[in-house]
Amino acid sequence: MKKVFLEGAISPEFIADSIAKHQGKHSIGAHNIFLGQVRGDEVEGKKVESIDFTCYEEMANEKLHEIREAAFEKFDLTCMHIYHSLGNVKVGGICIFVFVSAPRRKQVYEATEWLVNQVKSEVPIFGKEIFENEESQWKVNS
Amino acid sequence: MIQVKYFGVIAEAAQRDSESIPAEKVTLSKILSDLSSRHNLGEYNFQVALNRKIVSNFTEQELSDGDEIAFLPPFSGG
Repeated sequence: MKKVFLEGAISPEFIADSIAKHQGKHSIGAHNIFLGQVRGDEVEGKKVESIDFTCYEEMANEKLHEIREAAFEKFDLTCMHIYHSLGNVKVGGICIFVFVSAPRRKQVYEATEWLVNQVKSEVPIFGKEIFENEESQWKVNS
Repeated sequence: MIQVKYFGVIAEAAQRDSESIPAEKVTLSKILSDLSSRHNLGEYNFQVALNRKIVSNFTEQELSDGDEIAFLPPFSGG
């Protein structure tokens, strides 16, 4: 089982290291990366300061495994990685990192969008938006 | 015993993350309606997972010892 969940925000250094690790894989001709960043939405005058992420980890890992298998069936990929934060991520922090690599570029665009949509709709992850005044509301994906 | 897990807004409403209940000839629909009324979950939107799979038709689903049920509010990852 590949590790997907990381505590807190995903650092730019972690992302840079992930790219560097692929430079030895010479069948790859195209990478595509999606980064989701916590947005400082304003709701009724209150600004979102961070999101607390929780998940049903055993089910999430099973689902992510299925999504990964399906992605390799559906697209001609060399490799792919999905990382998602757990715990608190402040506004501006990266909370999801999807990294897709293939010999050619067409596949990576399609696969990245498909994967991000799958993670959002199929994986039991729950985000709670924390406002500056310490009130909160459960996030709803649009 | 049957393990029950609660997540997100449902865990807040039920004031717990998990609980164990005895498994004696019980159906999933019976357990769900009992737990839903015990914890006042009627107003919430949720899906149910049995042993980590979403259940779409659970009317006659019988449970056995060691089963794991989860109350899952709408997913909001990403």
